Amino acid sequence: MEAIRNALDFKDFPRIDLIVAGFVAAFLLAFPLFPHSSFAMVTMIQFFIFSVYGMGWNTIGGYGGQVDLGKAQYVGIGAYTTSVLLIRWDIPFWVSMPIGMAIAVIWSFVIGYPLFRLKGHYFAIATIATSLVLKDLFTIWPFVGAARGLEISPVKYPPPDFLRLIFKDDVYYYYIIFAFFVLGVLYMNWFRKSRLGFQLRCIKDNEDVAKSLGINVHWAKIKTYAIATAFVSMVGSFHACYIKNIEPDDVMSLDLSILIALMAMLGGAGSLWGPIIGAGILIPLKSYLKEWLGATAGLVGIDLILYSVIIMLISAVEPRGIWGVVEKARRRKRR
Amino acid sequence: MSSGILLGTVIALVALGLTIIFGVMDIVNFAHGEFLMLGMYTGLLTAQATGMDPLFTLPVAGAVGFLLGVLCYTGFVKYLLRGPVVAQLLGTFGLMLFLRNLALLIFGSEDRALHHGILVGKSFDVGMGIILPATKLAAALLSVVAFLAVWLLMTRSKTGKALRATALNAQAARYMGIPTEKMNALAWGIGGSSVTVAGALIVNFWSVNPFVGLLFTMIAFAVVALGGFGSVQGAFFAGLVVGIIMELPGIWDFFTYTFDFEWMANVPMTSLKYMWVYLAYFVIMVVRPRGLFGWKQ
Repeated sequence: MEAIRNALDFKDFPRIDLIVAGFVAAFLLAFPLFPHSSFAMVTMIQFFIFSVYGMGWNTIGGYGGQVDLGKAQYVGIGAYTTSVLLIRWDIPFWVSMPIGMAIAVIWSFVIGYPLFRLKGHYFAIATIATSLVLKDLFTIWPFVGAARGLEISPVKYPPPDFLRLIFKDDVYYYYIIFAFFVLGVLYMNWFRKSRLGFQLRCIKDNEDVAKSLGINVHWAKIKTYAIATAFVSMVGSFHACYIKNIEPDDVMSLDLSILIALMAMLGGAGSLWGPIIGAGILIPLKSYLKEWLGATAGLVGIDLILYSVIIMLISAVEPRGIWGVVEKARRRKRR
Repeated sequence: MSSGILLGTVIALVALGLTIIFGVMDIVNFAHGEFLMLGMYTGLLTAQATGMDPLFTLPVAGAVGFLLGVLCYTGFVKYLLRGPVVAQLLGTFGLMLFLRNLALLIFGSEDRALHHGILVGKSFDVGMGIILPATKLAAALLSVVAFLAVWLLMTRSKTGKALRATALNAQAARYMGIPTEKMNALAWGIGGSSVTVAGALIVNFWSVNPFVGLLFTMIAFAVVALGGFGSVQGAFFAGLVVGIIMELPGIWDFFTYTFDFEWMANVPMTSLKYMWVYLAYFVIMVVRPRGLFGWKQ
């Protein structure tokens, strides 16, 4: 009960934040009612998917300060578990999603234990390495379709199928991922006020002090890593049902891992709104740049050039992200 | 095995650039493989435009790499160094995306390979069934020469001493009157040129497209981790080891056919070629984070 009350309690934010958040939530809730193109719909669903990924990354990367660049492997585990269970044994999404989460969390414990002996750059590169090893294994594993990946055929299940999450209309997907998104925000709101949340911030500031205060640093990091993993794997399962066609190069690529970290960092790592702001800016930008410059003008790669310039500018000029700028401005005002 | 050693010397040269940059300023350069890719294109295009033998294009590639490295440092990386680790990692990742897609825009996405030159297609028969392709042999010898040159520069010259001082303690080096900013730029220049030279060597036997970079970046990370971050000799020996690891599928095939094991033939080793490199990296990092020769923790 206490936890739920904490999750629903947003009182410590300034009033302006809550008003803006309320407007945004109302807009998101009503978005499918407005006339919109199907492209806009796809972009919005992508926005939700990536903001939940970003929230997951934010626990370990933002509050904990551990740069994790291997989140794509858990997207892959979630997506593959759901697809394999659905295709081979016809197990519905709502059962396979928790199974995928359990597998991903167990795997995260297995590799998290050795991983968190490393720090800084070493940790970051090691997470990339584990992700790439898993991707290579999935590329040659015939059981999961090897390099061709898996395809969920919607013909077998007459849509709308709420158990297996097969729909023709994107609106259903929109509201389901929206529910996940709201749950994610509430969980993060609880997490940042929880014992573990405070421990992590202490670890981020100074690990030696944290240790001397009696925090089990290694265990706290592993636990948070598992939480981040559960988030990512959950949405990975959803992603499998939504895209219906998954390949190792798609769901397990390094680009995806980096994109997840980038969302949270652009918005402001270590804040509740950060990943949402980041995804809200980056995802529409990315898909529209691709649409206008890549597909229409026929210039291959120019969309990614602009996108990489944005990454470079953020990291060089304002590494604390957009929320960092806002907070700095507020602090100056108060003084 | 022998071709693994030949490949290993070139890989050592690739990793050398990374280890110098890391040693001097503690920054991991994700764009390293992209430098290599640009080196490959430079070697290829100079050879094709002038009709020279590809082996003589090395100075051009080296000069391009030096300029590129210095430019990247003064124009971009300098500002990254002030930020936290996340920003540094993502910043060089952005640089990598930028260079890759710039190459994609300019050169197109198709594979390109060299088909001329005095050494292409020739090979030496050393005996005992070992046949060495002449391009790989020449590349290996030249990488060893380049490696030695950089090693001498680092250990014997005054500039090298200043570089090492900056690596050990930048603040103290500044107090001693060493221009650390210049040293950082120089480290990027040397790092860049050694890797582009390696690229110009690799292009003799490896086709190039804008996406080759990431593979070599990861290989270079594995080498540097094995040898120890910031260690020059370490990079050389680790390069040899990783070269042999990459040739493991060949050894596997050898055993399969010699002893006729059926279960061995069913394992698709060739597609797992690079997985061993990543796995080796992971195991080394966990067991011995300093690497074999490293002095930085």
